[in-house]
Amino acid sequence: MLGQVVISGLLAGALYAMVALGLGLIFGVMRVLNVSHGPLLMLGAYTTFWLFQWLGLNPYLSLLVTMPLLFLVGMALQRLFVRRVVDAPELSSLLLTFGVSIAIVNLAQLAFTADLRSVEYLTGSFVWGPFAFSKSRVIACAFAIVITTAAFLFLRKTRLGKAVRAVSQSREVAQVCGIDVGRIHMLAFGIGSALAAAGGSLVAVMVAIQPEMGQVYTFKSFLVIVLGGAGNYPGALLGGLLLGLIEQLSSLFLTTQVNEAVAYVLLVLVLLVRPTGLLKGRA
Amino acid sequence: MTISLWKLAGAAAVTVLFGISEVEAQAPLKIGASLSLTGTYAKPGTYQKEGYEICADELNAKGGLLGRKVEFVMYDDQSSTQTAQRLYEKLITEDKVEAVMGPYSSAITESVAGISEKYKKVMVSPLAATTSIFRQGRKYIFMVISPAEFYLEGLVDMGAKRGLKTIAIVNEDTLFPKATVVGTEELAKKRGLQVVLREAYPKGNTDFSALLVKIKAVNPDIIAAATYFDDAVAITRQMKELNVNPKMFGVTVGGDIPEFYTLLKQNAEYVYGSTQWDEVLPYPGQKEFLSAYQKKFKHEPSYHAAAGYAGCLIYAEGVKRAKSLDADLVRAELLKLKIRTAFGDYTVDQDGFQTAHKMVMIQWQDGKRVVVWPDDLASGKLRFPTPPWSQR
Repeated sequence: MLGQVVISGLLAGALYAMVALGLGLIFGVMRVLNVSHGPLLMLGAYTTFWLFQWLGLNPYLSLLVTMPLLFLVGMALQRLFVRRVVDAPELSSLLLTFGVSIAIVNLAQLAFTADLRSVEYLTGSFVWGPFAFSKSRVIACAFAIVITTAAFLFLRKTRLGKAVRAVSQSREVAQVCGIDVGRIHMLAFGIGSALAAAGGSLVAVMVAIQPEMGQVYTFKSFLVIVLGGAGNYPGALLGGLLLGLIEQLSSLFLTTQVNEAVAYVLLVLVLLVRPTGLLKGRA
Repeated sequence: MTISLWKLAGAAAVTVLFGISEVEAQAPLKIGASLSLTGTYAKPGTYQKEGYEICADELNAKGGLLGRKVEFVMYDDQSSTQTAQRLYEKLITEDKVEAVMGPYSSAITESVAGISEKYKKVMVSPLAATTSIFRQGRKYIFMVISPAEFYLEGLVDMGAKRGLKTIAIVNEDTLFPKATVVGTEELAKKRGLQVVLREAYPKGNTDFSALLVKIKAVNPDIIAAATYFDDAVAITRQMKELNVNPKMFGVTVGGDIPEFYTLLKQNAEYVYGSTQWDEVLPYPGQKEFLSAYQKKFKHEPSYHAAAGYAGCLIYAEGVKRAKSLDADLVRAELLKLKIRTAFGDYTVDQDGFQTAHKMVMIQWQDGKRVVVWPDDLASGKLRFPTPPWSQR
């Protein structure tokens, strides 16, 4: 029983980590807490759904569409709105992205209606001994690991990735070194949104989707980056897995009703005791 | 008095002289209601409104009520209790409607019940299923649908009859599902079933794996879930993923609507759902209702439409028997009334609480809803037991 729950927790956790990495990247580079992160994930999920519905496109292949698409949407959002509040007090960016989030959700409700939709593609599970591995969750986890690793490699190894990290460490110094900070901001917002979109595409195969599905991922991602240390990218991975495990274990040992409470109590504790996150913040 | 006597005499004269029916000669009888036409409850609220309209058409085709044409005055309460309260005040004091019908949902009915009581208006409330509304000493409110506590009676009964021993009960942690599981647990114990697990999950929960793992560990014969729609879909999917194999699995709200199958496809097979009404049920007046409804609205009715339609007919029956719109006279008749409409049986106790209407249980079989309980209303045989996922 414990084994099964740990498996479920880790599978969910890898996905949280990927989505949270997107939020963390945007926060790290711009000090903007993007409340519309979850709604962007929802847009990714709907893109996958419509591609599946209209063209019969394999939902995993649709990642090739949703990620670039939301990358562009993210860049546009940054260019049009977020850019104006990057240097303003943090409350302004919070209010702005909150507004964007409400707008996206309501537009989605108008366009897609509030009906539940689902991509009925892979259901059932791989059974191995006493354990069941949900097919859609295992594949989602695998994709999440691949995409997260790719994002890490990009940040570690490439010139552009290093520039992103440089901006997140010190904007002024980066600027002095000749890095176009404005472009890096757009790029980071694009990548962050693409990561949310990937999450959406993968979630669409796991659960039924609707326009309000996204917000909860904003909160979960926030929780993950606080656990892992804001601005610490490997920390997001740790935080994600931890959140997945906490949710599942508290459902198992306590009740399903309290699992969110447990997660957020932990959030408060971390903020009180170790405000830099479990791993030290800022990489 | 003299004026109305003259009016009456005039109307009679007109009728005699020109052969015009009294229905046209007299002022229409206005019945007021607020319904949720936008917002969270827009779908069921709209169905209910359509049910009221069919009822009005039918009454008018048969000469109206007390010889007067029936006219509904209906507003949109936007699924909000406060708006609904304002609207009922307005209906009664400004629009001067002579009768009212209930709104959609338990919550809104509860919020406006005080108003209809205050102005002494009978309010038949066809879409309020929460017991407590009817247990507060209110005099003029009447219930039509079965209370929450009985939603899963069919599942328990079918299981017990087939010798099943254990049941796990789960629910969304909100008012209505909570009432359902309290009732289900009681019914299960009465039938000698052992409740091996009972747990609630928060509204909006999407991941049921830990809960299902716990259920799997106690391996119950029956899983009974008091759900809305999203959770019913998610639980079914994840039961397959985690290979949870009860002999019966039933849900409450959501399991009976077509979208349940659209979303789950063949995974919905064998799942039981409970419903207040189904169009295949052999109730009197059912065919007439269905054809009139389809002709007017060009789509199939849901149980909300049927309940609205029946609730309005029940009120009309009370008025006919009382031969008056006087609230106390109509109330006395509605308390005595025993009637079977297209929606099923109606009888209430002294609180106006429904005691006769039966929930039905459906099972998804080859993509269709088949009524499998109660026996006298069944439209097909139940497929029992549910085979394990690996053999479907």
